[in-house]
Amino acid sequence: MSVFPYPEISKEELEELHQLVQPVEKFFNEDVDSKKIDHEAVIPPETLNGLKELGLFGIQVPEEYGGLGLSNTMYARLGEITSLDGAIAVTLAAHQAIGLKGILIAGNDAQKAKYLPKLATGEHIAAFCLTEPGSGSDAASIQTRATLTEDGKHFLLNGTKFWISNGGWADIMTVFARTEVVDKDGQKKDKITAFIVERAFGGVTSGKPEDKLGIRGSNTCEITFEDTKVPIENVIGEVGGGFKVAMNILNNGRFSMGSAGAGMIKRLIELTSEYAGTRKQFNRSLSEFGMIQDKFATMALNAFVMESMAYLTAGMMDRPGVPDCSLEAAMVKVFSSEGSWTCVSEALQVLGGLGFTKNYPYERYLRDCRILQIFEGTNEILRMYIALTGMQYAGKILTGKIKEMKKGNVGVVFEILGKKLKDLVVKTVDFGLTGKDGVVHPSLTESAKMFEQNAAHFGSTVESLLYRYGKTIVDEQLVLKKVADVLINLYAMTAVLSRTSRSISIGLRSHDHEVLLTNTFCKDAHFKNNFLLTQLQKKDNDANIKKIAQEVLAKRAYVCSHPLDRTF
Amino acid sequence: MNAPRHLLRIQCIGYVARFLGKPVQRVILPAGAHLQTPGSQHNYGQLLRPFHCSAVCSTSRPSQTQLEKTVEDETLNKDKRLVTHDDLFERAARDSKTKADFNRVVDVFSKKDIRRRGHVEFIYAALKKMPEFGVERDLTVYNKLLDVFPKEVLVPRNFIQRMFNHYPRQQECGVQLLEQMEIYGLMPNVETKVLLAQIFGEKSHPMRKYQRIMYWFPKFKHANPFPVPHVLPSDPVELARFSLTRIADDLDAKISIYQYPSTDITEPGEEVMRPHIVGIQSPDQRSLLAKHNPCRPVFVEGPFPLWLRKTCVHYYLLRADPIPPEEKVEEEFDLEMIGPEQSLFYPQRVELDLERDMGDDFSFSVDDVEEGPVYAMCMAGQGDQATLSQWISGLQETCPILGQIPTVFRLDSGPRELQTSSEQIIEEEPLLSQRVKQ
Repeated sequence: MSVFPYPEISKEELEELHQLVQPVEKFFNEDVDSKKIDHEAVIPPETLNGLKELGLFGIQVPEEYGGLGLSNTMYARLGEITSLDGAIAVTLAAHQAIGLKGILIAGNDAQKAKYLPKLATGEHIAAFCLTEPGSGSDAASIQTRATLTEDGKHFLLNGTKFWISNGGWADIMTVFARTEVVDKDGQKKDKITAFIVERAFGGVTSGKPEDKLGIRGSNTCEITFEDTKVPIENVIGEVGGGFKVAMNILNNGRFSMGSAGAGMIKRLIELTSEYAGTRKQFNRSLSEFGMIQDKFATMALNAFVMESMAYLTAGMMDRPGVPDCSLEAAMVKVFSSEGSWTCVSEALQVLGGLGFTKNYPYERYLRDCRILQIFEGTNEILRMYIALTGMQYAGKILTGKIKEMKKGNVGVVFEILGKKLKDLVVKTVDFGLTGKDGVVHPSLTESAKMFEQNAAHFGSTVESLLYRYGKTIVDEQLVLKKVADVLINLYAMTAVLSRTSRSISIGLRSHDHEVLLTNTFCKDAHFKNNFLLTQLQKKDNDANIKKIAQEVLAKRAYVCSHPLDRTF
Repeated sequence: MNAPRHLLRIQCIGYVARFLGKPVQRVILPAGAHLQTPGSQHNYGQLLRPFHCSAVCSTSRPSQTQLEKTVEDETLNKDKRLVTHDDLFERAARDSKTKADFNRVVDVFSKKDIRRRGHVEFIYAALKKMPEFGVERDLTVYNKLLDVFPKEVLVPRNFIQRMFNHYPRQQECGVQLLEQMEIYGLMPNVETKVLLAQIFGEKSHPMRKYQRIMYWFPKFKHANPFPVPHVLPSDPVELARFSLTRIADDLDAKISIYQYPSTDITEPGEEVMRPHIVGIQSPDQRSLLAKHNPCRPVFVEGPFPLWLRKTCVHYYLLRADPIPPEEKVEEEFDLEMIGPEQSLFYPQRVELDLERDMGDDFSFSVDDVEEGPVYAMCMAGQGDQATLSQWISGLQETCPILGQIPTVFRLDSGPRELQTSSEQIIEEEPLLSQRVKQ
């Protein structure tokens, strides 16, 4: 299993990281006025210059092109600090995690040499242009067109892109458009191609910035392309291969949300606990009340799990080769976005009315957090992705067996019956996590056993789902949502088990607290998983939910009569 | 109430007059009323009037109204010819029949005779005449009619009367009145209940019928998910809008009024009537039309009738024939876009060779008759080709492909538009005890 042991970085790298982290932290604590940025909906140029000087515009760009050349893990670490201001975090992420990532991973050397140096220093700002008014989550329906000119040296780009972060200032944009491609059968088809478009090419107009609920400092606007001439050297990858480029870019940027969320929550814990410790009501300080303590525990648990998952994923991605961690990154993103939202809400709740005012930063954090569940793939879409990828994989393995069962092969039926009986009688499952040669530390045996049990139960549930639905499972979103939730919980459990085992083994400070957090989280997650899995075994409300939704949507209004209505 | 006292007084005066054996001159009674010889019967009407109306207006009536005269005629000529209660209604309002007239007739009857002789026949006749006066849906009129029954007389007073269907004709009449209310879908109110209790008592047939109505009617009130309102819009454009949304039943469908009704005067001085044209089309229909093959024609068909209670409106369709199976083009999915491995966000199709299990398969095998698509509907004041061509050209603005598709007009010679049968005489349904006894 590649999740054990927990990925580490070498001592030298860690020291180098500390060197980088300190000035950034200092900058953010002193020179960034988040309140002003939020109020005026713009990041002042001095702040941007400061960020550029710190090199934060090219964290992952290789050193030969003028960037910092840091790995994913270090990028995640720096993300913890930049997340203190939501607008800055989003601007930086839009610039490097998606804006210039295309050139970085799929561009040829000429393109890299031409564009990356200026992008790394922050002289040019990048943006990622995929979303259109008619296609948000459904990226396959984009309408922007790129037609080849007569001389075959340029593409003419026509179309509108919508909600582009950094759209107002970006000089270099990664634009996705449809191009006509003749495929090997000789048929003309429309395929998506990725282009590097400079604002200097002409025909690029930005609309006015959108007035948003949160991350107000980040510039989000509409970009229109009118007969923009793009030379064919600026095609990223090959013509018609834009889809894969987009996929890779999006799938890779997500994991950093975990560490960003964790950083923000850690800061919030500091601010909130100070308030809870000093404020007195009913002659006791708030921190003595159970419900307040519950909130702090939630925050601590969420921060712990988020950073474990984020660094585990980043570490896996940093392994040699190009491992495909898109599934894990998606899981991190879903968990972190929802966890951040609940934690910020709870922190605001501790402060009560004060948290609601603009004098404290909580409402700003809350507003900034709301976008986490929406951008970079809405949580609903990502849940579908997580569940279906898992189903795809499981389906490949189980198809043969299920087909045999459906045909009514006697031998297979007996085998299944036998297994079910054994499961009823003998409840223990052993995957080898614990025990003499186990990878999990003995203090975490109980949690590991719960995890193994969940995993086994999940396996049999997936099998029964595939038996019931087959390939039509794509349409059963309510079922897939539960599957995705179970998967996310399982991944979270592995992350914390792995991290805590390492902490205990090497004797990190406060590792006993980590054991406590791990055991608590695993127990909670175990129960949640059991509930979801029971629901998946046909004991759910899905049919009723669908029916209610159908009736309400048919009328496009609330259906019931008013409780005060009379018939006579 | 004073009615019994007045009753007694009149009787006394009558006896006194007869006892005295001579015509009684004008006797001033305490109420300031006048008494004249009881010999002339027509004075009964005059006599009763002062008691039952206020002292102020008692004698200030200069002339009798037509109705009173009719009543007098009736009472005068009672022995001489057969006058049915129907005629009373006929004579009451020869030119216009309104609620006020109806009420007046009922009032006159009520006041004519304190014993309300012949009230059963009167009520039956009134029930029959209600639709003519247009009051069949008016609850107050029914209550007024119910008021014609004498109170407290018909209530059974001992167990024998209770056993043996006390006053069967009157009870049947009450039941028929409630039955007519039920037929027209009226919900009785508290006043009805009070009246029924006073007239027939608590355990009578009409009261039972009332209870049954009050049990079932609330349950059935909302039985129709698409009720037609009783009062339809009179403006033809509004009526067309209402009926088209009713037929289309699609919340996305948009109504476009291509032409408002107007009258133009052209140069030679002729009047040209421009009828209204109201059309409806939903975005789905528009996209279907955009995909229509220009080689195949579209048909304008009509007029089809739509009945809204008693109004019939006609609509026209723009439709095409179903595509024969050989020519059907399956929409191809670009495997890269919605591929099994990964589409941009999640796979739309999973490449598995497994089908849905029987227990979860909720699809029906339905033998559908294949019908061609309907692209739009309209209602127009006149159903001729010129008007409908105007509709098509109006549609063309949103669906430019119509310019290339050949349009064939398959019109029937439609009936006159907006036929309302309320102007026709409704056939009287013979109710059970409708025969007016003479």
